[in-house]
Amino acid sequence: MIKRPFIVIILTVLVSIPWNMVSQTDSTTAKKDTIDFYDMSLEQLLKMRAHGVPNELEKLINSLISVASKKPLNTRESPSIISLITADDIQKSGARDLIDVLRTIPGFDFGVDVEGVVGVGIRGNWAHEGKMLLLIDGLEMNEILFATTQFGNHYPIDLIKRIEVIRGPGSAIYGGFAEYGVINIITKQGEDLNGISTGGIYGQGQNDYLNRNAYFAIGNKVNDFEYSFMGHMGDGQRSDQDYTDFYDSTYNMARNSNLKPNYFSASLKYKGLSYRWIGDFYNTSMKDGYGDVIPGLAIQETYNSTFHELKYVIDVNKKLSITPRFTFKSQTPWSSKAYSGKEAYNRTATRALGNLTASYNLNRYINFVFGAEYYKDKAIDRVDSSYFSNGKQEESYNNYAFFMQGLIKTRFVNFIVGARYDKHNVYGDAFVPRVGLTKKYGAFHFKALYSNSFRAPAIENVNGSSDSLGIKPELTKVAELEIGYKLGRRSILSVNLFDITTTDPIVYKTDSSNADIYVNEGGSGTSGIEAEYKLKLKKVNLGINYAFYTAAGKNKIVDYEVAEDSKALLAFANHRINFSAIWNPTKELSVNLNASIYGSRWAYTSVDSTNTSVLEKLPSTTLLNLFVNWEPVEGLNIGLGCYDILNQKFNFIQPYNGYHPPLPGPSREIIVKLQYNLHFKAKNRKVAK
Amino acid sequence: MNKQQNIVKYKATVIALLLLCGSFNSAKAQETDYKAYTLFVYNFMKYVEWPEAQSKGDFILAVMGDSPINKELQALANAKKIKGRNIILRKCNTVEDTYGCHLVFVPNSKSAMVKALREQTKDKPVLIVGEREGMAKKGAGLSFVTEEGDELKFDINKKEIEQHQLKISSQLVSLGTLIN
Repeated sequence: MIKRPFIVIILTVLVSIPWNMVSQTDSTTAKKDTIDFYDMSLEQLLKMRAHGVPNELEKLINSLISVASKKPLNTRESPSIISLITADDIQKSGARDLIDVLRTIPGFDFGVDVEGVVGVGIRGNWAHEGKMLLLIDGLEMNEILFATTQFGNHYPIDLIKRIEVIRGPGSAIYGGFAEYGVINIITKQGEDLNGISTGGIYGQGQNDYLNRNAYFAIGNKVNDFEYSFMGHMGDGQRSDQDYTDFYDSTYNMARNSNLKPNYFSASLKYKGLSYRWIGDFYNTSMKDGYGDVIPGLAIQETYNSTFHELKYVIDVNKKLSITPRFTFKSQTPWSSKAYSGKEAYNRTATRALGNLTASYNLNRYINFVFGAEYYKDKAIDRVDSSYFSNGKQEESYNNYAFFMQGLIKTRFVNFIVGARYDKHNVYGDAFVPRVGLTKKYGAFHFKALYSNSFRAPAIENVNGSSDSLGIKPELTKVAELEIGYKLGRRSILSVNLFDITTTDPIVYKTDSSNADIYVNEGGSGTSGIEAEYKLKLKKVNLGINYAFYTAAGKNKIVDYEVAEDSKALLAFANHRINFSAIWNPTKELSVNLNASIYGSRWAYTSVDSTNTSVLEKLPSTTLLNLFVNWEPVEGLNIGLGCYDILNQKFNFIQPYNGYHPPLPGPSREIIVKLQYNLHFKAKNRKVAK
Repeated sequence: MNKQQNIVKYKATVIALLLLCGSFNSAKAQETDYKAYTLFVYNFMKYVEWPEAQSKGDFILAVMGDSPINKELQALANAKKIKGRNIILRKCNTVEDTYGCHLVFVPNSKSAMVKALREQTKDKPVLIVGEREGMAKKGAGLSFVTEEGDELKFDINKKEIEQHQLKISSQLVSLGTLIN
């Protein structure tokens, strides 16, 4: 277990170093000739900043983001607990996939579900099924049969421009998949690419390759017209280690745990009108099934999705903008043939969605966002002998929603209030209001937030409801308080407290015939604290964060609990520390040493003589990584690194008692990354980096 | 470890972190770039027209009280002229001190003086520029605004400017935001 005094000491030491003394002065005064400066044109005046040329840290914390409010606000005043990751962060870290990126965020972690699928947890809570919304350029990636997202060599990491993460509820804006958090990925578009970008990664583990991916992208903006096309393909493996089930059957995961991304995207944009298409064809293989080793060859699974979006931003006048938006997605996730007593699964679900959102700026200080949304879901079963609970091979639902938000900015505090109302034709309605106060006062900022959120039962939750009364949305109340303080111009410390209470959570179980069922049962939630310190000097960047949660007095779900420790939940460590140090000895070279330190975790690792699963406390784990990035000529990046230097072989633990032993992750891995950007116009070179 | 001990430990951690923040009371926020403000003021002087009688002799630029902008405005006065006229910087402590000035800059800390200044200079060719956002609504002719993203902009109270017998050029108007 990681001792708290240790964390306080680390933070104290870091923030006590007189970084201001080693930082360099950014002053327009020193850099500009006085006479020339005064003779600046009126147009150039428009580019002037109230606080001078921002350094890297100031650029980051002053970034305008809209993920938490629709109306763009800087990260320190945005009404959610926010993490922001840039393309530069990703490139310098050498991240192999989204797991590497997201596990650096306070409170984020990963666990195994079934069939080799790894999902996300946040603040100690398993969020894999319908509690964490994953957006790529505004399109919902969650599949709508179970509302899950699958992590591991899936999405095009090198084509990401920025990731905005809400480490808390987002339902008041985004609806029923954003109960515990939102991951908003913004990829590089035409103007960002400004040419061609291509690259790839090869990763070699102890026993086999672990990553071999390539990507290609082209895009540009010509006057008001912008286009882009990108593709990301490859073959990775979850692990090259042995997996052993509760009954001592074993197989080697090398060549039996493939993770094959085939991701394509195209976009066209003319002024306010845009069309977007994404094809996400993710293929995996596995032999772990629901826990027991599947004899014979590995089972191939496919998660195929296509997405379309047509959007038109109409600026009616300076104050009012209206955005009609239509999306359509078709998804066939979890598709596999029959194995070991499990029936074949091949269901396609579609969602047609219309959304009308208006944003009205009453004046500079008051903004209203309001709108309505309607979607229709349809599911088709393609297996001859398989039916939905209505006895048919086709099922459909619909949902409408209304939402509003008011933002009032004053000299003393920013006040935000919002709410969303959803009405589903089967499981009824959900109303989720939220209120928040935020403000920065020079170096200090605070956020006080209270939000309701909900999880919308997905198609299979409704279909698999065992309760005669039917499934209903689970409701969550979240209180959060953040304070932050800039320690000089180049470092910032922020600390936040959270309290999450979920009532009637939708719980996954298997019945006596091993079929999936869902019930509203008990209660769950966590409370805790997260702290983050960032320092950005010209040649050295440091980041350290700490996350703690406790489930004491919150959890009432037997399948999630740790009988020996009421503070802990299965799979997720109560204490986590992430550390990253980047050294830029020259403009062309960066060296990144980063670590994720996990406190002890609880897992079911075996069964006793009565076939009851047995708990085990797994010791602390430290994932230590090193990556060196070199840009010998502009546009060409060559990277070499080692992930899991200590060869800890991180295990993904199942966060519920589902008779699935921990799933081995990759072993120590040597990676090589290449990236080349060829720009059409030299003047925009820095944009796409 | 019992529940009571847990709570104490938890609170101790929070308090320690809060104290840690509090111990850095000497830390600075991102400092205001008064060079940028000065550049705007210089352009206000260039693109606002004073009556004929006030367009001769030195251009008197006043600042209410002590402000870090004084140093930058003095550098401007040393380096530049307005239509061949010298710029003279005058530090004022009272409203009466501003008599004879062409432009009065009101720093944040002296914002409460805007109303009194307006009364004192009513119908006189004086341009009042407020550093604090919202001062244009309280009687200044121009006041600064820091937008999201830190861009420095300004509000224009055209009615107020005209009451002071001043003319603001359309070029300058196109850069700012008219509040009336």
